[in-house]
Amino acid sequence: MKRPHDHLPPGPVAWTVAAFLIAATPHLLAMPPVLGLVVVLTCAWRLVAAQRRWRLPPGWLRLILTLAAIALLAVSYGGLWGRRAATGLLCLMLAAKMLELYRIRDLRMVASVSLFLISAQFLFDEKFVYLVYLFGGVLAVFTALVRIQGVETGHAAPPGGERRFVRDGVFLLLAGLPVALILFVTFPRLAEPLWGLPDEVMDGKTGLSDSMSPGSISELFIDDSPAFRAEFEGSPPPPRQRYWRGPVLWRFDGDTWERSFLPSRTPAVNVPPSRGDLHYTVQLEPQERRWLFALDYPVTAPEQARISLDFQITRRDPVTTLTQYRMRSNPGFTDMPQLPETLRRLALDLPDDRNPRTLEMARDLRERFSDNRALIEHVLDWLREEPFFYSLEAPPLGRNGADEFLFDLRTGYCEYYASAFAVLMRGAGIPTRIVTGYQGGFWQESGQYLLVRNSDAHAWVEVWLDGSGWTRVDPTAAVSPARIQSGARTAAGDMAGLDWLRSLRNRYDRIQHLWNAWVLGFDAERQNRMMRFMGLPGLSSTGMALLMVATLGVVVLLVAWAWLRKPARSSDPVQRAWLRLQRRLRRRGLGPAIGETPLHWAERVAPRLSDGDKLLELAGLYCLIRYGERDESDLAREFIGGCRRLSDRRFAEPQALTGV
Amino acid sequence: MNAATGSGAGARRPKLFDRWLKRRARLDLPLTLAYRQIFILPTRFGWMLGVLMGAMLIGSLNFNNNLGLLTTFIVAATAINSMLLSFRNLNGLRLRHGTARPVHAGQPIAWQLAATNPDARHRAGLILRAADSAARFDVPANGTGKAVLQLPPRHRGWHRPGRLRIETTQPLGLFRAWSWIEPSSPFLVWPKPAEHAPPVPEGGDARHGQRSHAREEGEDFHSLRPWREGDPLHRIAWKASQRHQTLLSRQFRREQSREVFLNLERAPGRDQEERISVLTTWILRADDQGRPWTLELGGKRFGPARSEGHRHACLRALAEL
Repeated sequence: MKRPHDHLPPGPVAWTVAAFLIAATPHLLAMPPVLGLVVVLTCAWRLVAAQRRWRLPPGWLRLILTLAAIALLAVSYGGLWGRRAATGLLCLMLAAKMLELYRIRDLRMVASVSLFLISAQFLFDEKFVYLVYLFGGVLAVFTALVRIQGVETGHAAPPGGERRFVRDGVFLLLAGLPVALILFVTFPRLAEPLWGLPDEVMDGKTGLSDSMSPGSISELFIDDSPAFRAEFEGSPPPPRQRYWRGPVLWRFDGDTWERSFLPSRTPAVNVPPSRGDLHYTVQLEPQERRWLFALDYPVTAPEQARISLDFQITRRDPVTTLTQYRMRSNPGFTDMPQLPETLRRLALDLPDDRNPRTLEMARDLRERFSDNRALIEHVLDWLREEPFFYSLEAPPLGRNGADEFLFDLRTGYCEYYASAFAVLMRGAGIPTRIVTGYQGGFWQESGQYLLVRNSDAHAWVEVWLDGSGWTRVDPTAAVSPARIQSGARTAAGDMAGLDWLRSLRNRYDRIQHLWNAWVLGFDAERQNRMMRFMGLPGLSSTGMALLMVATLGVVVLLVAWAWLRKPARSSDPVQRAWLRLQRRLRRRGLGPAIGETPLHWAERVAPRLSDGDKLLELAGLYCLIRYGERDESDLAREFIGGCRRLSDRRFAEPQALTGV
Repeated sequence: MNAATGSGAGARRPKLFDRWLKRRARLDLPLTLAYRQIFILPTRFGWMLGVLMGAMLIGSLNFNNNLGLLTTFIVAATAINSMLLSFRNLNGLRLRHGTARPVHAGQPIAWQLAATNPDARHRAGLILRAADSAARFDVPANGTGKAVLQLPPRHRGWHRPGRLRIETTQPLGLFRAWSWIEPSSPFLVWPKPAEHAPPVPEGGDARHGQRSHAREEGEDFHSLRPWREGDPLHRIAWKASQRHQTLLSRQFRREQSREVFLNLERAPGRDQEERISVLTTWILRADDQGRPWTLELGGKRFGPARSEGHRHACLRALAEL
């Protein structure tokens, strides 16, 4: 095909580039800055080229540039697999397309793929504020498409200029909303995904890891984004009971705590329900991990999830979108009154060649206390009385981590305390495991839900005691009770003086919560519940699809009726009244002929109307109002009334009188 | 006379479609476009966006990504709306008449379509399309619009434009709504003027031929007129010029009525077409030179006269021959 070298006008090119840039902004921000810059510069160059009517670069240069950019992308992402790399690639390809925007078709291609970029962004983030991005991006694309259409139909400069195009775009967007909402509510959702998700981390947002070496959670502590929200039926548990259980770690190699195969693969014993159970719904933010969090001890597992022997709840697929689940927990349950021998061995295992001073201290304590409870009490008192400090800024530990922490450093956060405490307990012969998860949360009084942020991540210890089974001990609480009462960052003295900021954030979080509950959390289950509420229980997905088609049909017909009903209303009331009158008379066979002036028409028709004189008068008035020089607003009212009152009865003809 | 020929688009289509189309709706002008006349299908861009929406839908559905779904649905809803708007852009449009000014064979034909818009809504981006040409036009609210379609040159005679399409892809180019029309009112194509025609034959028709010949010899003096460059010296009326102090030429009767008599027999050519072409050229030349002419064609006489109407009548007669 011959490549036309005439230039596309700058207007539509500018709109297309703008639509692309708006759609690509979040992707560009997530890209390596160099690549983002390449994309932006290419777009800027294209705009200038359209303005100055430069020639676009030859094919070989475009190819080299594109390949170079893709190579750079592949290097910086370590391959082209993964969602971020894929959307990055798409952005680069579109930027490369900028270099060869020749035809209307190319413009349309870029504009419509921008829509794809918008929807792809939501795989990474679905926060409430992104609604602005959605509507802004879609509006820009629609405006660009309207503008491109203007080129195709040869409308170089329409009356009203660029603003007219924006207005058309807004009109299209608003007109689309009813149908879009119907589709959103009624479109059948998949109960299970069609294909699996790559095990990929979302924008560096990780939930809790399944291992712990002191120093690793610290990135989470700075992350103030919500981890999950919980709504309770009835009152929420007091702060000291708000331990949200995540991964449970048994094995310790001296540096890292890890999960153990046996207790995490064995199904849990049944927790009997009781009267004091907590009922709550958790709204879990995407975190790309399989953990679901619950208070101790979960009675039933949520759908597609299972509970292990140490009460970790894991889901079959990673949590990549907002996930809601209902939970019931029995806080009064005694976990494992009898400890099997294998688990005891697992919970006492320690590397022999590490932490000699801690083990020395443990042996010493063992000799002094025969009762495990008294021993634990003593250690907690010791932590409390000695100069231990809670701080988020703690150096990484060396080979003998527990020794360094307990006797030299004495400054750290929950992981340091939990790890050192667990080593001490195991050294003293008490079965111990570490539980990581979240602790605390902010109670949103106005929204009646508990907001748990990633910075609420925590690690604590469970010891097995005769008679009470696995018992929670939180050494961090002994050192810094404030951590348990009000959160990690307050305890570390971070948030002083920023109360107003906090309250603003909490208020914003409430909107986010509603957004999550009503928009993002709208899944197959909620859809079903809504249908039940509307009196359509147990609708299959086929039924749902039929319902969708039916509703859609009705709405589209309504829109069609509103638009195609004839004739369209004129914005001028005088014109409207006049046209309505003409329509009435046309039905009587007395309509105006093509090209007939109002006065001619009235003169021709008047003798055949019983109200003929009035018609003549009205036609005169009409001409006066339409073509007269003065402002005739008072006449207009009279005219409209006259048009309405005019009878369209035909002049009584002689035949009719005789009644033949 | 040539039968009016349909142009490419309609002629090659299967007869079945033709019959169905004709039974379905009126195609002749004047015509108000309505449901029965209007067809609508996605454009290539529309199909492409459809595929894209499918990808967006499956992706969002799989990840149960509600914002992604919402985006997809907004696009889908807009696509549905744009279908309605494309339809509306044609619906109710009144096509009144179509015609073309006569041209000579071999010249492009500008076929004009007049449309009125009874609604208070501007109709933009309408396209009138023939087999290989198209004309864009708008019809303002409560107003009239005109499309000028360039049709390819035709042979002399009466023609119809054949089957034409009125189409629109407003507002986004996703759907193309179109209507077929087949205007029955013909337009005229005059014969093509011959390129190397001999000069216009001098002299009157056979009846006056001898006399005019005699008159040429007899110097039948008629009047005086101011001298013009090119008048031969022996025509100058020296005495009168002296009297009036300006150069005057004697004018003879033959010059004043340099009437031309034209018929097929006088025109050279191998066949009738060539002769018609030569006649056409002569008529045009006579008109240019301001000389009245008479055309005798198949026992009918046109003229003598020299006027636009006369020229049209002669050319038409030649076209119809």
